[in-house]
Amino acid sequence: MNRHNLGTVISFEFRRTVLKPKFWLISLAVPLLIAVVVALIAISGQTTADRAQSQDQEAVTFTYTDASGLIDPATATAAGGTLVTDGATARAAVVAGTSECHIDYPSDPLSRPIQVSGQDLGLFDSERYAAVASSVFEESIVHQIGNPRLAQLAVQGPDVQLVTFADGVATPGIAGVIVPALFLVLFYLAVLMLGNQMLNVTLEEKENRVTEMILTTMNPTTLIVGKVIALVLIGIVQGIVVAIPAGFAFSLLSGVMGAPAAAGTATLGSLPIDPVRTIVGALLFLFSFLMFTGLLVAIGAVMPSAKEAGNTFGVVIIAMFVPLYAASLLVSDPHGVVSQVFTFFPLTAPVSALVRNATGGLYWWEAALALSVLAFFGWLFLTLGVRLFRTGSISYASRVNIARALGWGRRAS
Amino acid sequence: MTTTPTIEVRDFRMRFGDQVVIDDLSFEVHAGETFGLLGSNGSGKTTTIRALLGIYEPTAGSLLVEGRPFDPALGSRLGYLPEERGLYRKESVLEVMTYFGRLKGLSHEAASSWSKEYLRRVDLADHAKVRLDKLSGGEQQKVQLGVTIMNAPSILILDEPTKGFDPVNRRLLMDLVDEQRAQGSTVVMVTHQMDEVERLCDRILLLKDGRAEAYGTLAQVQDSFGGRRMRLTFSGVLPASPNYRVAVSERNYAELELADGVEATTVVRELLDAGVQLRGFETARVSLEEIFLKVYGEKAVAA
Repeated sequence: MNRHNLGTVISFEFRRTVLKPKFWLISLAVPLLIAVVVALIAISGQTTADRAQSQDQEAVTFTYTDASGLIDPATATAAGGTLVTDGATARAAVVAGTSECHIDYPSDPLSRPIQVSGQDLGLFDSERYAAVASSVFEESIVHQIGNPRLAQLAVQGPDVQLVTFADGVATPGIAGVIVPALFLVLFYLAVLMLGNQMLNVTLEEKENRVTEMILTTMNPTTLIVGKVIALVLIGIVQGIVVAIPAGFAFSLLSGVMGAPAAAGTATLGSLPIDPVRTIVGALLFLFSFLMFTGLLVAIGAVMPSAKEAGNTFGVVIIAMFVPLYAASLLVSDPHGVVSQVFTFFPLTAPVSALVRNATGGLYWWEAALALSVLAFFGWLFLTLGVRLFRTGSISYASRVNIARALGWGRRAS
Repeated sequence: MTTTPTIEVRDFRMRFGDQVVIDDLSFEVHAGETFGLLGSNGSGKTTTIRALLGIYEPTAGSLLVEGRPFDPALGSRLGYLPEERGLYRKESVLEVMTYFGRLKGLSHEAASSWSKEYLRRVDLADHAKVRLDKLSGGEQQKVQLGVTIMNAPSILILDEPTKGFDPVNRRLLMDLVDEQRAQGSTVVMVTHQMDEVERLCDRILLLKDGRAEAYGTLAQVQDSFGGRRMRLTFSGVLPASPNYRVAVSERNYAELELADGVEATTVVRELLDAGVQLRGFETARVSLEEIFLKVYGEKAVAA
């Protein structure tokens, strides 16, 4: 491979992308969008908490019946309640709008629900009636038990902290999923942000009628490898653009998100890291990226235009992310037939293997096999892409006859 | 001692599936000559060039450039203007020209400064940083020509060079070709334009259905298709004669195709003896356009 031309291609492709304002607008839009969504969630969460607090402080006047005999009259009265004996009349008063709320405590609250009728205050504010009904009930139970601590345990239940061991070493548990799952997110972002550019690796020369001039100055492998390397560099730049604000956000939120690390695991901040799953995740990501690139290069070499290639690209994307719809199956039954098929079929292998690896459901030999499948098909697609580009990319106006482009037709004749 | 031809094609055969596109084609192009590859649409001209430049893999035969199969490393000495042409339309003129200059072996500085100089020559200096798709078609053609010759190629291959060119760019192209010829470049022109071939080419090859129909110097080919001619202005009636055939006849003008071995003086004497009053005459060879018509027919020429 001619190094001078390889360097020239990488430089040209990289510069012409990163020097355009559009690139930075799109790249910065992703973290900006994430920041906006996070901010909205935070604001919404604060608003919800504020409203819940204000609801707690707002007085509710209500009538109630108590067939259970568990309600403490003093507690109910303090909360704004008035005991009545005719529940039907009290509910009718609510329906008529002359009473704000009526609560029927059933004879057996374990088998029958507490019935609450109230004036409609909107989807959110109407919840205050149910909150009052529960609050009065719980406080009355506490009163019945006589020991607030026991009563709280009875209502809330205890906290349970689980530590599991494998081969004598504590496993990181659910928090250990986060780091290997980041490779799945990384793969998704790579597909999302670089997919169209990968498709254009071979399509652009064809659409611009540049192929013949290019092929007389360098071999197609140099061109395609140069373009792919440039894309990887562009992806790294985009990754950094996304990672810097994400890292900043992580450092801000790490106190909130932090989970205790199990003994024997490395940590990123307070995040537990399983080294094996992390390395396998990184390899799966790299090989998945390679296969995906090879596939899109081959599609671009065959299709006459971006429009036609786009249709096929859509099908590929759907096929690649179909396993996400079966994510619960991949997690709950990682060694079942469906999970195995998804893991070793080239198009579905990236997402399936990454999900199973993240959740600890991938044996070492399955990881090795999945990596082999991805590496083989990555190589195959790239080789086909180069070959199809050489002869197929001068079929400017029509879809390439693959058999002819690969020389099969010629040998057969 | 024999010198290696710049281009040597031997027993070249090309099939696409069951279709034979080129059949047993052989020719040479010598260093410093201008060679015309002629033929109607679908006769195999572009396929031959693509196989020569390694874009197509030949079914059989050898196609050599400077004694070896084409390698992209030779691209630094090659100027190629393909029939299907274009550039990266969303990039600036200077970026694209510099990129191709780099691919052709120039340094970044050399490619950039040559491009700026060329753009000044063709009145596009103000457009150096403009995207190609913002230029007019004619302006894009000028850039394309610049990219073709920016490495001062020793071999220049032009496939239908004037196709789609406006008269201004056609003139520019011909000037550039003349300059390259003057510098000793070997030029191969694939074209339909017979006037260009007659003006520029030292030797030609006529392709028909993938086979060589005629090959040699212009004079050799003309002689093989009807030999010499006489153009007459006269009054009177031309008599029938075994010494010539009337190829063109108008009121006081005619073109006679002389039979093999017959001298023009013999025909002049015969006409005078028959009472024809000659006002003037000249001898000439059959034009390439007529040869083209004869080989490919009226429809092919129209196409």
